[in-house]
Amino acid sequence: MSAGRRARTRRGVADVVTYAALLLACGFVLLPIVWALSTSVKLPQEIHAGPHWWPHAPTLHNYLGGALGAKFQRYIANSLLVAAATLALSVGLAVHAAYAVARRRFFGKNVLLFLIWATIMIPGVSVVVPLYTLSVDVGLYDTYAVLVLVYAAWLIPTLIWLLRGFVAAIPPSLEEAALVDGCTKLRAFYLVVLPLLRPGLGAAAVLVFVTIWNDFLIGFALTLSDEHRLLQVGLQAFVTEGGIDWGPMMAATIFALLPAGLLFTFLQRAFIQGVTGGAVKG
Amino acid sequence: MNAVAATLGGPASRAARRRRRSEAAGTAAMFYPAFALVAAVSFFPLFYAIRQSLHRADYLELGGFVGLRNFITLFATGGGLHFLSVSLLFVAGTLALAVPLGIGLALLLARPIRFRTAFRLVLAFPWVVSELVTGYLWMWFYDGRLGPLADLFSRFGLANPLSDPHTALAGVVLASSWRAYPLVMIFTLAALQTVPVDVQEAARLDTLNEWQRLRYVTLPLIRSSVLVALVLTTLHSFNSVTLVLAMTGGGPVGATDVLGMRVFSEAFQFYRMDVACTIAVVIFGLNILASAAFIRVLRGQPE
Repeated sequence: MSAGRRARTRRGVADVVTYAALLLACGFVLLPIVWALSTSVKLPQEIHAGPHWWPHAPTLHNYLGGALGAKFQRYIANSLLVAAATLALSVGLAVHAAYAVARRRFFGKNVLLFLIWATIMIPGVSVVVPLYTLSVDVGLYDTYAVLVLVYAAWLIPTLIWLLRGFVAAIPPSLEEAALVDGCTKLRAFYLVVLPLLRPGLGAAAVLVFVTIWNDFLIGFALTLSDEHRLLQVGLQAFVTEGGIDWGPMMAATIFALLPAGLLFTFLQRAFIQGVTGGAVKG
Repeated sequence: MNAVAATLGGPASRAARRRRRSEAAGTAAMFYPAFALVAAVSFFPLFYAIRQSLHRADYLELGGFVGLRNFITLFATGGGLHFLSVSLLFVAGTLALAVPLGIGLALLLARPIRFRTAFRLVLAFPWVVSELVTGYLWMWFYDGRLGPLADLFSRFGLANPLSDPHTALAGVVLASSWRAYPLVMIFTLAALQTVPVDVQEAARLDTLNEWQRLRYVTLPLIRSSVLVALVLTTLHSFNSVTLVLAMTGGGPVGATDVLGMRVFSEAFQFYRMDVACTIAVVIFGLNILASAAFIRVLRGQPE
């Protein structure tokens, strides 16, 4: 009896410790974000009045002027445009390649596949300077095209890896049935396999979008003009020689973390599939 | 065999051969475009970086061949050892915070608790925050005059941890761990779900207490996934540029000058492409070495 009670008390203590530790960790996660949120709705005079968490006169001024101003809108549009174009190119190429890898045999398959996946081990920072020099050489520096090509090439190995698994999970008997019905192999791929790949394509789309929305390196190294600048690089423009205007900067920062955060909140499964697949690239 | 079939075969086998050949062409057309793009954008620049690291640079033009002199200069007088040791400290610090935190939180989340989904969502959140945003969030949080910790810092005679060479690296490491631990947590959680229920049940019936169950049953079963998360965290933090670039730019007085940051300042601040590519090749080489070492360790794992 008393042993049972002791066990129950011990479990009670363990529960209290568990919740306390989890809440503490949540605090660690949320404090910098909440502080940024608080700053983003303060006017400069309030920010400079000394640190306090609860804004006295909350305002959307910083969002309307900074995060949603004309310049920043252009950066957002650029990020969306590059993400959409990269999505079409990279997933378009990768889904065909993944199908060939999962279902067919072809010349040099194992070697080429090894080479493609080996590129995942090439850190971005090791090739970004040559990419800059080369893009200047071939006249692609500071264009949408170079961003799309580089992002697509960096994503394709992971996408092939991700989509191959989804293709392999589809029973080949479905395509065979279509062939018996007189479909060509290519039509069987488009009409039978592709629709069944929808969850895989969703995970792929999340991976592509979040990678490009969050990337700074490539956008910084390969573009120069406001016209082609991506969101994260635009964010850096708030840091000037004269110091940082923290109100608008934090509004823009909150805005920059919002889309990926919302995707994560509502599409956790696609997200984890896509991004754990993509977690490999440094 | 094929030749015999071909000579003996009538029109039917010729048609079959033609079909096979067009099918092979179709397969090639599905795979090779993806390969071509990856080769052009990943391998070619890597060769370019290696070639440049063996030559002098004249801004964007390739200069004379110098053999390994760029590497020797980097490590003899160019501060290479300093950048390397800052990088290793940065990685070690990030691992020391992110790995225990990630594993610990995953174990807590695996307990029968309420609000698990909400806790998991909040705790995994930094994973989706970009490196640049992470850097800015923490930079503002650390602000020595207007930040919430200003009073605390001034009590220790600090203006701002990022502006003091003794504390700047620790400040960046904390931000790096904030963003790095969710990956460890998510990998550990996924691995914990694969631990069979009857194994846990058997351990409980064997009257192992919770700590013993963890030490002798759970941890050995999830070890290989945790190792993979550890490898990824090591490589990510070693190759990271953006966080340091956002928070300190490598300063003050080089206290946070990791190798990756140095590639950027050499290339885009000083326009010394030969030095930048030399460091880039060093980073690549160390990645290969580390990966080879990790593969050996992982191969040695049971399972």
